[in-house]
Amino acid sequence: MNRRSFLMGTAAAAAACTRGPRLNIFNWSDYVAPDTISSFEREFGIRVRYGTYESIPEMLAKAMTGNSGWDVIFPSAEYIQPMRNMGLLAPLRHDWLPNLNALDDQFQHPPWDPDLAWSVPYMHGTTGIIFQQNLGWTPRAWSDLWDSRLTGKLTMLDDPPEVFAACLKTLGHSLNSADPGELKAAEQRAIAQKPLVRAYLNAEVRDQLVAGDVGVAQAWAVTAAQAMAAAPGRLAFAFPEEGFPRYADNVAVLRESSRIEAAHHFISYLLRPRVAAAIVETTRTATCNGAAHSLLPEALRNDPVLFPSREILARGEWFAPQSANSQRLRDRLWTEIKT
Amino acid sequence: MKLRTAFVLPSAILMAVTMLAPLAIIVVYSFLSRGAYGGVQLPWTLENFTRVWDPVYGFIILRSLWVAAVATALCLILGFPLALFIARSGPRKNFYLSLVILPFWTSFLIRTYAWMFILRDTGIVNSALQSVGFIRQPLPLLYNYGAVILGLVYGFLPFMVLPLYATLERLDPSLIEAAADLGARPWDTLVRVVLPLCAPGIRAGAILTFVPCLGTYLTSDLLGGSKTVLIGNVVQNQFTASRDWPFGAALSLALMAIAIGLLLAVRRRGEELL
Amino acid sequence: MKKGLALYALAAYAFLHVPLLILAVFSFNSSRFAVWQGFSLQWYGAIARDRNLMESSLNSLIIAVAATITATVIGTLAAYGLWKRRTRGFAWLSGSFYLSLVTPEIVTGVSLLALFQWIFRFLHLRLGMHTVILAHVGFSLAYVVVVVLARLRSFDRTLEEAALDLGATEFETFWRVTLPYLAPAIAAAAMLAFTVSIDDYVITSLVAGVDSQTLPMVIYALARRGVNPALNAISTLIVVGLGVLVLLSERLRRA
Repeated sequence: MNRRSFLMGTAAAAAACTRGPRLNIFNWSDYVAPDTISSFEREFGIRVRYGTYESIPEMLAKAMTGNSGWDVIFPSAEYIQPMRNMGLLAPLRHDWLPNLNALDDQFQHPPWDPDLAWSVPYMHGTTGIIFQQNLGWTPRAWSDLWDSRLTGKLTMLDDPPEVFAACLKTLGHSLNSADPGELKAAEQRAIAQKPLVRAYLNAEVRDQLVAGDVGVAQAWAVTAAQAMAAAPGRLAFAFPEEGFPRYADNVAVLRESSRIEAAHHFISYLLRPRVAAAIVETTRTATCNGAAHSLLPEALRNDPVLFPSREILARGEWFAPQSANSQRLRDRLWTEIKT
Repeated sequence: MKLRTAFVLPSAILMAVTMLAPLAIIVVYSFLSRGAYGGVQLPWTLENFTRVWDPVYGFIILRSLWVAAVATALCLILGFPLALFIARSGPRKNFYLSLVILPFWTSFLIRTYAWMFILRDTGIVNSALQSVGFIRQPLPLLYNYGAVILGLVYGFLPFMVLPLYATLERLDPSLIEAAADLGARPWDTLVRVVLPLCAPGIRAGAILTFVPCLGTYLTSDLLGGSKTVLIGNVVQNQFTASRDWPFGAALSLALMAIAIGLLLAVRRRGEELL
Repeated sequence: MKKGLALYALAAYAFLHVPLLILAVFSFNSSRFAVWQGFSLQWYGAIARDRNLMESSLNSLIIAVAATITATVIGTLAAYGLWKRRTRGFAWLSGSFYLSLVTPEIVTGVSLLALFQWIFRFLHLRLGMHTVILAHVGFSLAYVVVVVLARLRSFDRTLEEAALDLGATEFETFWRVTLPYLAPAIAAAAMLAFTVSIDDYVITSLVAGVDSQTLPMVIYALARRGVNPALNAISTLIVVGLGVLVLLSERLRRA
């Protein structure tokens, strides 16, 4: 075989591989319904590659290479500004997103992206305390998680912003605090709590709650809702009195992408009320799509854990981006807590 | 070109690309500063290495060495009879060997979750013991160092059994018969005939078990509930949640130096590295 | 003593396989959670319909087979070359094998990613199956070399010398005298290499491209959300499938 025929053969093979338009979507796991992607593929004739990640650092590591191959990503709200500053995001074209008004009004001009120029809110949530009804008493505030009666029965999230948030709130500070004094005090609280903590668990705590191994847990509302659905009547959820974190995951397009238009088709597709409602019925997460919310079955629509009242939500505080120095300090303190 | 050079060359090139070049990158990283969201940036600094000297990390490294040593010793004790059995099973040895390794072709993560399920407070072991009346309160079998060591032994047993088997298989049964004929008891035969002959296998198994155990993080994360902190966890943390790549690089260089130091220390004079 | 050994082996196999048995039992659970509620095949149906899962499994298999064959071949050759005569020139190679075993996976993964990204600036390539296979061969090599070297250490050099004296070339000596002796070690090494490759998560997830999702990555995502009987079904299928292969090859050998 000579070089010419080899090159032509390779070119032919490469061309065959790229038949038809494609779109590469990188999302959190468990965030779409089983038929969301396939329906999108059928309707638009675009072949989708769907990958998932479990943490923001994982997604960032790929995105920061500038050459990852992904088109659509789902960053959390507090990362939109930093990613914009790093030049990672492509600006959104609203003329390609006709149904933006399907979003709930509190998400039309969110604090992290008031003009929705870079992202579209997708799902949101809160963090609170989930506990067994048979505990004998009702935890109502973060400071209840330092009660020595909970030794060995308590789990906290394995997530630095969340643990800091709980500690800062018990001290009466903002959970986005960048003040070294406040952060160090929060660190001391976390270290003081360690002997009571059974383990630092994220979503895995759900099964332990259902099985009864864990008495009280700092948990995302989503996890709590799933656990409560699996063990009806045995578990309860509390939105801490001192205040609690709010987070939102958004859809965005990577600047490196060469399929901007297809990406917009997908975002627009996700904004369709029926599509969003179908996703929520599978994932049981709180959608930012107001029109979809009204299409949900009543039990889900009025779930107090997933969709709490405005009064409760007013006590919540959005995670905000940290300055580089504050981030450095927080990360260093987290290492000390965990070590 | 000499035969042995030609044989070694492909591996040499591959290791240069996948091991040494990345190692150089890690060394460079360890002298840089951390980027705000991961990654590295200037300025150059020695701060990462001064941080490594903190006694906290020294303590963790000692703890990790201890855990790895215990796990390796247990793997050796538990794995040796199994390897002996397989080596002596005649024509069926490949079958028995496959049976050892078969569980390890499923996901380690899933099997670790299975162990968590077994060891939980409401899990099988505790439920069984409680129903028989042995204990009244559930035993804390999970989220401690015991569980981590169990997980490590379970995860690394084949890495001990396979090299042991590779050398035991060569063992000439007539040597054992001769020893017996000469009046040696089974235990003496084991210690004075069998063990010395399969010493290279023991050494290989120990290396393949102890060294990866030092760097393990998943087992202590899951079975230890993120409360048992080994050096692997700290390094993992630096590259994920704590986003301090240069410090993680410095820590792993320290770990590598200790591991190499250990190997050099136990090597006999004139022996090669591996 | 033989009976004692066989009994012990039985206990050891039980220890290794009991978690799998539990996984298998719960893969037929009709409830999503770890409390038995009834018999059901729904999870097997769910994974059969999952296109992502099928693609990832195929990728994992391709990567593992390619990496195992490559690592076993060049690893065996390297072990032989290192054993034949100690030259100072290749002492660094032994050191690098050892280092690759001690380096935490995340460090290897991050540094390989950085290396690839730097190379790709000149070569206009992307992360993909090729980068994953390269990474897998890289970390499997040490396992192969260590196992084969161990076996070589108990090999009688005079056999080779005799062959050479009788007129064989160096290569013929290797091929016809040493290699057959090494066969069990090569088999063991290949099994080890396949094992480390098929279950690798950390390094793979870092150097994988858009087209190279592997089974461990899918499993990790599913598992992070908690107990999921689909995972039980996956691992039961793997065990049963490979177990059948193992049994078949044993039958064929006896026939």
